[in-house]
Amino acid sequence: MEIDLVGESLKFMVLGMTIVFIFLFVLVQLVKVQAKIINMFFPEKVPSATTPPSSSQESDHVAAIIAAVTEFRKNQ
Amino acid sequence: MKLKHLLLSMLFAMMAVTSTVQASGHDTVDTQPTQVEKAKNNQEYTSKSISQLLESFFQTTGLNAMLHPKEGVKNGQGVEMSLFSQGWGRLIMFIIIFLLFYLAIAKGFEPLLLLPIAFGGLLANIPIANMTGPHGMLGIIYDMGIANEFFPLLIFMGVGAMTDFGPLLSNPKTALLGGAAQFGIFGSLVGAAALSQYTGMVDFTLKQSAAISIIGGADGPTSIFIASALAPELLGAIAVAAYSYMALVPVIQPPIMKALTTEEERRIVMKNTRKVNSLEKLIFPLIVIVMIILILPDAAPLMGSFAFGNFAKESGVVDRLSNEMQNSLINVVTIFLGLGVGSKLASDSFLVAETMGIMVIGLLAFAAGTAAGVLMAKLMNKFSKEPINPLIGAAGVSAVPMAARVVSKVGSEAKPGNILLMHAMGPNVAGVIGSAVAAGVLLSIFK
Repeated sequence: MEIDLVGESLKFMVLGMTIVFIFLFVLVQLVKVQAKIINMFFPEKVPSATTPPSSSQESDHVAAIIAAVTEFRKNQ
Repeated sequence: MKLKHLLLSMLFAMMAVTSTVQASGHDTVDTQPTQVEKAKNNQEYTSKSISQLLESFFQTTGLNAMLHPKEGVKNGQGVEMSLFSQGWGRLIMFIIIFLLFYLAIAKGFEPLLLLPIAFGGLLANIPIANMTGPHGMLGIIYDMGIANEFFPLLIFMGVGAMTDFGPLLSNPKTALLGGAAQFGIFGSLVGAAALSQYTGMVDFTLKQSAAISIIGGADGPTSIFIASALAPELLGAIAVAAYSYMALVPVIQPPIMKALTTEEERRIVMKNTRKVNSLEKLIFPLIVIVMIILILPDAAPLMGSFAFGNFAKESGVVDRLSNEMQNSLINVVTIFLGLGVGSKLASDSFLVAETMGIMVIGLLAFAAGTAAGVLMAKLMNKFSKEPINPLIGAAGVSAVPMAARVVSKVGSEAKPGNILLMHAMGPNVAGVIGSAVAAGVLLSIFK
C-alpha cells in the first residue's frame, strides 16, 4: 500500500513539536524550582567587596606598564 | 596571499586535467585488457619487453582508469560504478572539492570541518586505490566511528564541556525559543515529503526525509548522527549541507530576522540577567538526564554524552578530563569525523539528483527554524512581563555560538549599545537540547 508521505510527515511534525515543547517546558519548570531551592538553602557566598578595588588597581598598574613598554619599543 | 595560492593550485589542477583530456584524443594505443588478464593468470612470470611493461603499468594508472572507464568496476562498498562516475564524475567532484577548499580557506566557512571533509572527498575519488573500501583508510575510519554513530557522540561530549548553561539558567523561559526553532526540522520534513510525493524530481523515503530535515537543527554532530542511523547513503550531502549552512548563518538569518520584526521590536532592551549559583549549573546536566530517563530514552546517546561533558566541566574537580574533552579529544575526533564523512563524497554517491534536493531542503529548514524562533519570541514578548527582544528567537536554531553572535550584531545595528549576546545564548544552548530531543523523537519513530 502506498503511504501518504505528506500525511505521515504532518503527524510526525505534530508529535515532534509537542514532545520538544513538553520536554523544554518541564525542563524550564524544574530549573525554576531548583533555582528556588538552591538559593534558599545554599546561597552563594558573595565575594567580599575588598578584593575588587585592589585588583582593579593592580590592573591599572599593569596597563600603565604595558603602555610604557609599548611606547618605549616604538621609540627604539 | 592564501587566495592567490589557492587560485594558482586550482589553475594548475585544471591545466593538468585539460591536458589529460586532450591527451585522450591522441591516445591511440589499444588497451588490451585480455592480454593483461592472461598474463595474470599465468602463474609463472614471463619475460616482458619494456613496452609491455610500460603498457601494463599504464593500465594501473588513475589516468587510464578515468579516461577508459570500464563496465563492472566496483566501488569500496562493492557496488558497480557507472561509467560516468568513474570518469567525468570524478572530475566534477574534484572541482566541487576545490570549491569547498576555497570556502574553507579563503572564506573561513567552518574550516575545522569543511577542510577535512573536502580532503576526505579528494582521497575518496582517487581511482583504483579503493580508499573507501573496508581495507582503505577512509573506509576504516568510517567503519570505526561513523557507521556506528560513535564520533558525533564524542564531539557532543566536547561541546557539552564547552557549553556554559549560565545564560539559560538565569532566564529559563527563553529555552522555549530553542524549542520553536525546531520547527525548522519538522517543517522541512513535511517539505521533503511533499517534494517527493508531488514532484518527480526526487524520491525520498520517510526515513531519508527525516535524515535530511535534521539539517534544520543547525547542529553538525546531530545531523551526522541521525543521517548515519537513518540514511547513511545520504550522509555526505547532508553533512556538507549542514556545515555549509551553519557557516552561512550570518548571511541566511539577518534578512529573515529583519523581515519578521519591526524596528521598534529590534530596539527592545532586555533586563540584565541574574547571577547564577554554581550549584545550579552543576545540577542542570543531571536534571537533563532525569528528563531523558523519564521522557525520551532514545535521545540518551546524544544528551548523555552532552550532559557528561557539561557535568565534568561544572564539577570543577576534573579539569584535566574536561580540558581533554574540549581540546585534544574533540580535535582528534574532528579529524576522523571529517575524513570519514569525506569518504561519502565519492562521485558515485554524491553526484545524484538527491544532493540538489538535500541542499534546497536544508536551506528551507534553516530559514523555517529561524522564522519560527523569531515568531515565538514575538509571541512571548506580547505575554511576558519583562520585555523580550524577538531577535533572540533566531538564536534558537543551535549553531552555537554563531547564531547568538548574529543576533547580537543585528540588535546593536538597530540600537547601538544594546548587547543581546548573553540573552541570545539562552535560546542558543536550548536549541542544542531541542534538536537532540527532536532527533530522539525521529529515532523513536523509526525503531
